Amino acid sequence: MEPIYLDHAATTPIRSEVRAAILPFLDARFGNPSSTHRWGREARAALEEARERVAGALGAQRREIVFTSGGTEADNLAVLGRWRAARHAGGAAVACSAIEHKAVLGALHAAGDEGAEALLLAVDADGVLDVGALDETLAARPAVVSIMWANNEVGTLQPVEAVAARCRAAGVCFHSDAVQAFGKVPVRVDRVPVDLLSISAHKIGGPKGIGALYVRAGTELEPLVHGGTQEGGLRPGTESVALAAGMGVAAELAAREQREEARRLAALRDRLEGALLERIADAVVNGGGAPRLPQILNLSIPGVERDALLMSLDMEGVAISTGSACQSGVVEASHVLLAMGRALPGETAVRFSLGRTTTEREIEQVIEIVPRVVERVRELAG
Amino acid sequence: MSGGVDSSVAAALLVERGYDVVGATMKTFCYSGTPGHARSCCGLDGIQDARRVCDRLGIPHYVFDMEEAFTRDVIDDFVAEYVAGRTPNPCVRCNSNTKIPDLLRKGRALGAELIATGHYARTAPGTDGRTRLLRGVDEAKDQSYFLWGVPAEVVPYLLFPVGELTKPEVRARARAQGLSTAEKPESQEICFVPTGDYTDLLEQRLGAAHPALQPGRLVTPAGEVVGEHAGYGRYTVGQRKGLGGGFPRPLYVLGVRPGSNEVVVGDEALLERRELALSDLNWLDEPPAAGERLLLRIRHRAGRVPATVVGGEGDVLRLELDTPLRAITPGQSGALYRDDVLIGGGRIR
Repeated sequence: MEPIYLDHAATTPIRSEVRAAILPFLDARFGNPSSTHRWGREARAALEEARERVAGALGAQRREIVFTSGGTEADNLAVLGRWRAARHAGGAAVACSAIEHKAVLGALHAAGDEGAEALLLAVDADGVLDVGALDETLAARPAVVSIMWANNEVGTLQPVEAVAARCRAAGVCFHSDAVQAFGKVPVRVDRVPVDLLSISAHKIGGPKGIGALYVRAGTELEPLVHGGTQEGGLRPGTESVALAAGMGVAAELAAREQREEARRLAALRDRLEGALLERIADAVVNGGGAPRLPQILNLSIPGVERDALLMSLDMEGVAISTGSACQSGVVEASHVLLAMGRALPGETAVRFSLGRTTTEREIEQVIEIVPRVVERVRELAG
Repeated sequence: MSGGVDSSVAAALLVERGYDVVGATMKTFCYSGTPGHARSCCGLDGIQDARRVCDRLGIPHYVFDMEEAFTRDVIDDFVAEYVAGRTPNPCVRCNSNTKIPDLLRKGRALGAELIATGHYARTAPGTDGRTRLLRGVDEAKDQSYFLWGVPAEVVPYLLFPVGELTKPEVRARARAQGLSTAEKPESQEICFVPTGDYTDLLEQRLGAAHPALQPGRLVTPAGEVVGEHAGYGRYTVGQRKGLGGGFPRPLYVLGVRPGSNEVVVGDEALLERRELALSDLNWLDEPPAAGERLLLRIRHRAGRVPATVVGGEGDVLRLELDTPLRAITPGQSGALYRDDVLIGGGRIR
């Protein structure tokens, strides 16, 4: 059997169109976009064309797109860069939800170390932010409120429109990490009034090592690294034209295909979800009571050991995720499920994430394999 | 796989022999917060080394989180033994509970049938169909001593690929295969005592105010008080350091009395004994009969010495040695052999 990759939320294979867009910049078109000669002009034109593509995909202006090394840096620039810019103006707090990606949580704690009051907003049992609790947070006048567009582990969509509207009304800067949502649900900064928004290329068929931060015109940010004036001074250092070109194409394709791909993935995910719930006794869908991304299924399975299940599936050729591993490789309990009150002892949560290359045939095979492996692991653990 | 050269070569030999091998490293102890490991949560370098060896061998590698069981069966026992005035042997506890039975159970959930380690020991089928555990070929490196406590029923599922080799042969094989761990030095310290001083761990786990860590009297076997000690948990039989000076002759720890917080000291000659008793017995073969002559090892790297079974009742076995041994230490292990066959053992009383 061919191995089956159902970990697209971790990363995705590079699309052939993207690869084709990258290659010229690994060869003859090697110029530095800051150079004024022919090579530089050519590189700059390609970089700005990529920026236009990304801006177009998000409904933004070209100048509002800052290329970064990826989603993590974009999140850090948003949260920490915003905090550092605002503290001079008397800002005292930063806020995010308890289920943010570690990039946002890490940046929030770093701001905390620099004197910010770090506020964590609770979520309900389905992993959805409680918008009601926002008023109190906004009263603290945070430098930035960061709420992800959709959660990367359980897939729950967050009420970003409501949060954006309230932040706007309160005059508070709003950042959203849309790394998992972009390309799967409509993510448009011209429809939702976010001030800052992070995306990453490698989650949408683009290369690793590049992401982007949308910075609404007029939003004050302080750069995290210092040097030249590239990326509007927010991200100094010679730009990777090759990676940007790849990201431009990936973003354009993701936005163009979003609606149709979402419909296809939702049908496959729903088939997988229904069959696994039927065949695995006591399995529960985490976030199942809330609107979710179409490509993610997070299941809690009682009575199996996390590492045994993940390793057994790996050996059967099925790649899924059971959360994030610490440096040693040991998989840790998920902070997202903890925040949802769903990290129960004796339960293992597994995430299936589908993507562009996922086929119906693969889903049918996984429906056969997973319940069989769960049964074996349960028996032997007993 | 600890990330050391022995388990690396063990894995390489199994791959070479055509086994379907999965590398496994146990995470037994979280190193975050310990000095020198501050930036690498649980990031024992050994795990990275084991992973690199598996990459090289083209086999999967997984890290098993054994922290809870290891804490319960090894670290808690280690601390309790010192509190009881004995000197524990955590490597034996780990093999008897965590490294072999627990890991085998985890491996079985993955479909594994056998478990291999880098111990210098061997197994061989007997004529009666029963698998026997034998000492390693390299007598100087033999590690069968650490295995006396494994449950007899797991012995048929054990593989010791380096048990037929000497240490220099193991290193040579690692070099020949280009394994990154070929020149790694031997690890001597207890894995969960990264500072190398177990009393740090006792202080951390018990609190500095615990009776085992409070000063008390140094006494001679005759009951004469000759000084003060720093807490009986800090002493082990045979120890000379930490007793203070000013004695006419060098004094050695002869025993520890937790009830009265006394440490018994005396001349080195008094450390020699010809009899001992083992408890917490575990048998991997037919238990010995009264009067039977066996070979006994009471510490790693010490020679095996002839001993005679002189009695035993319930969970206790009494032995008499042909020639006296120095510093027979309560809590340590006595491993028993019929020729090269490890038949079991117990904890020294």
